[in-house]
Amino acid sequence: MKRLVIDYQLCSGNGRCFVVAPELFTDDDRGYGHVIGDGSIGDDHLELARRAVIACPEQAIAITDDQGPPGSEDGPS
Amino acid sequence: METFLLTDLSIEKDRTPGWHVVKDAGEVFQMGDGTWVLTSTDAVRFACRHPEIFSSAEAFRTAGVPVPLVPVAIDPPDHTKYRRVLDPLLSPRVVNAMEDRLRAQVRDLVAAFASTGRCDVVTDIAKLYPTQVFVTLFGLPLADRDQLVRWVEICNEHSTHGTADPNPTVVEAAMAMFRYVQHFIDEKRQNPGDDVLSTVLALKGDEAWSNEEVLGLIWLVLVAGLDTVTGAIGFTMLYLARNRDLRRKLVADPGLIPPFIEEVLRIEPPAPTTSRVTTQEVELCGVRIPAGAPVMLCLAAANRDPEKFEHPDDIDTAQKERGHLTFGGGIHRCLGAHLARRELRLVVEEFHKQIPEYEIAPGFEPEVVWPSATLHLRSLPLVFPVPGGAS
Repeated sequence: MKRLVIDYQLCSGNGRCFVVAPELFTDDDRGYGHVIGDGSIGDDHLELARRAVIACPEQAIAITDDQGPPGSEDGPS
Repeated sequence: METFLLTDLSIEKDRTPGWHVVKDAGEVFQMGDGTWVLTSTDAVRFACRHPEIFSSAEAFRTAGVPVPLVPVAIDPPDHTKYRRVLDPLLSPRVVNAMEDRLRAQVRDLVAAFASTGRCDVVTDIAKLYPTQVFVTLFGLPLADRDQLVRWVEICNEHSTHGTADPNPTVVEAAMAMFRYVQHFIDEKRQNPGDDVLSTVLALKGDEAWSNEEVLGLIWLVLVAGLDTVTGAIGFTMLYLARNRDLRRKLVADPGLIPPFIEEVLRIEPPAPTTSRVTTQEVELCGVRIPAGAPVMLCLAAANRDPEKFEHPDDIDTAQKERGHLTFGGGIHRCLGAHLARRELRLVVEEFHKQIPEYEIAPGFEPEVVWPSATLHLRSLPLVFPVPGGAS
């Protein structure tokens, strides 16, 4: 299973992920993006997930296999 | 070292050749005046991601403004405190809640000339609308719009011409604007409303902002946040005026308006560069930049990366969004980005509802004001048929 993760060391609230891929990301009160659920993506959403990855001006989004790196979901500072 | 300066470039009519000159000089190079210029996506991103090496505060130290320009002229850790307050006040959710009001405002601006058969996009919309949105957001009277437009214009014209001492007209305008803003700060401390200014003033204890900090924030928005949107509105309408097929496509399928706007922002950034000063020696793309060096991040050149874009110099609404750098990046990315994008979309939607067909006034050749810190068209006269009219 592929999974989307946001690196909040890099995310600075450009907010492009939830515009490009509203099926996969949502926003918070500050305008920062968050993956919906645990970020896991089915094959039908893989192309959309890739679009969000390249649309991020900070290159803060990655598609990982299985669980993803620890500590990636700390949230924006 | 290159001998040219950015101001030597001839970009009044077309920006493309100029940004190619900059790009061709290298990913990282030094200009004739000693300023280092970063032109590739990688170099610009690196600088945005490392505010501890590429300091924004140092770059604004010489701006000559008597208040701290919050938050762009602040480095971490203090920077975080301001952004925590400001991000939620300008988030997409806040912009969504304002949309109906903002839409009605641009509808009225367009209606004012829709039956006359002609308009100047720059003076009739692009200069007025961003200031109108600013007063709406900060809870100031709409009636003060034109006065603010004039003050800001005078202050920005001066900053464009650089280092010379400001003339008395500029000092007078700046002082009048400070007094005006101070008046509303005092008033909103007494009678808070439901606006950005009141929210910042309501912060208590450790969170509270000083009077200078509040003035600095408003000053920054006034001198950096308005004429950039003016520029973007002009460029957006310029591309549509020049391309009838494109605008018919957008009218038929409004879903194409947001990707079109991203493309205009990518190839015509109203703020083509942003400044930093190095705090230490750093090697970037194989080039060594010394400590204390002035650095210019050329967002305009980085946005035209031929390795990322199939047609780097053309608007392509089918092109997948690839993270342009028009709003900068990292901790200092533009706070007003969500608002600016919304303003642009509303202008395109509401203009075309009332005036779907138009062209640039015959014989007129659009030019940007140059040299200038921000790029905007001097004028964009359009002519169009009037419903029921003879033309």
